Amino acid sequence: MTIRVAAVGDIHLSEHARGTYRARLNGIEERADVLLVAGDLTRHGTVEEGQVIADEFRGLAIPVVFVLGNHDYHSDAEQEIMAMLRATGHFVLDDSAEVLLGGRLGVAGGKGFGGGFAGKCANEFGEPETKAFVRHTREIADRWRIALKGLDTQHRIVLSHYAPVKDTLAGEPPEIYPFLGSYLLAEAADAAGADLIIHGHAHAGTEKGATPGGIRVRNVALPVLGRSYATYGL
Amino acid sequence: MDIWDPPHYVAARVQRAIAEDERTNELGIKVDIRGDHLFLHGQVCEEDQRERVAEVAAEAAPGLVVHNEVICVAVGEPGEEELL
Repeated sequence: MTIRVAAVGDIHLSEHARGTYRARLNGIEERADVLLVAGDLTRHGTVEEGQVIADEFRGLAIPVVFVLGNHDYHSDAEQEIMAMLRATGHFVLDDSAEVLLGGRLGVAGGKGFGGGFAGKCANEFGEPETKAFVRHTREIADRWRIALKGLDTQHRIVLSHYAPVKDTLAGEPPEIYPFLGSYLLAEAADAAGADLIIHGHAHAGTEKGATPGGIRVRNVALPVLGRSYATYGL
Repeated sequence: MDIWDPPHYVAARVQRAIAEDERTNELGIKVDIRGDHLFLHGQVCEEDQRERVAEVAAEAAPGLVVHNEVICVAVGEPGEEELL
């Protein structure tokens, strides 16, 4: 039986958006079995904006899985935002995994990070600041590999904010690719196996791509989609 | 002494202000300066964000005429399912 996955990212709700977003999700339970939200939920990452997110997604008839994005880290309130979303009954991935739909679907992932793509990327070499930047991504990828391998489900999806491949960045200036994602994220998914990778972050990118190992990648940033959410059948 | 700012640096300063100012925190806006004219391009998610972007740009580059060509993302119906 097909699993229908709805996905969107980069919704950037500020306090101005309170009460206005929910209408976009009306009837989603007739179109999808689960909703994945690929980070940049807020504009400034404040607790108040986190509350807007919790309220706008409250009580949907299908499970909702979130990861945070770079905007959601801006006010150093990421842990509080995650706790608020969990308290509202949502799933939040922080380099972790969840099993949904009676064991049929596993979703692993988190925010991800940058560094660039194979052959044109930063390395753990030189100044401590450079090493810390690249190490952050490598450690995330290591945790995703473990999270994915722990999923014994019929289908597995990786949910990220940052991009795992260049394909879905087409339209963005190549100079900023190292800030948009890292091939280490794709490498982890290819090593552990997954049916689909969902990401956001690249507002000027394109929707469809694939990893070197053949896993389909979809950039669901709202400006890329131009629709309330995308729906994928697995 | 008057110091002339090359447009290259002015554009970079405006782009940085739009990214870092709490009113906007908008990372994907392109800034292009031609003569005394400053053009803003890109997409935002809310209509009033368009206006805030232009406001921050005008403050960061006084004396230039700001042309706000930023558009607000149009969000349509969910559309067809893609079977993978």
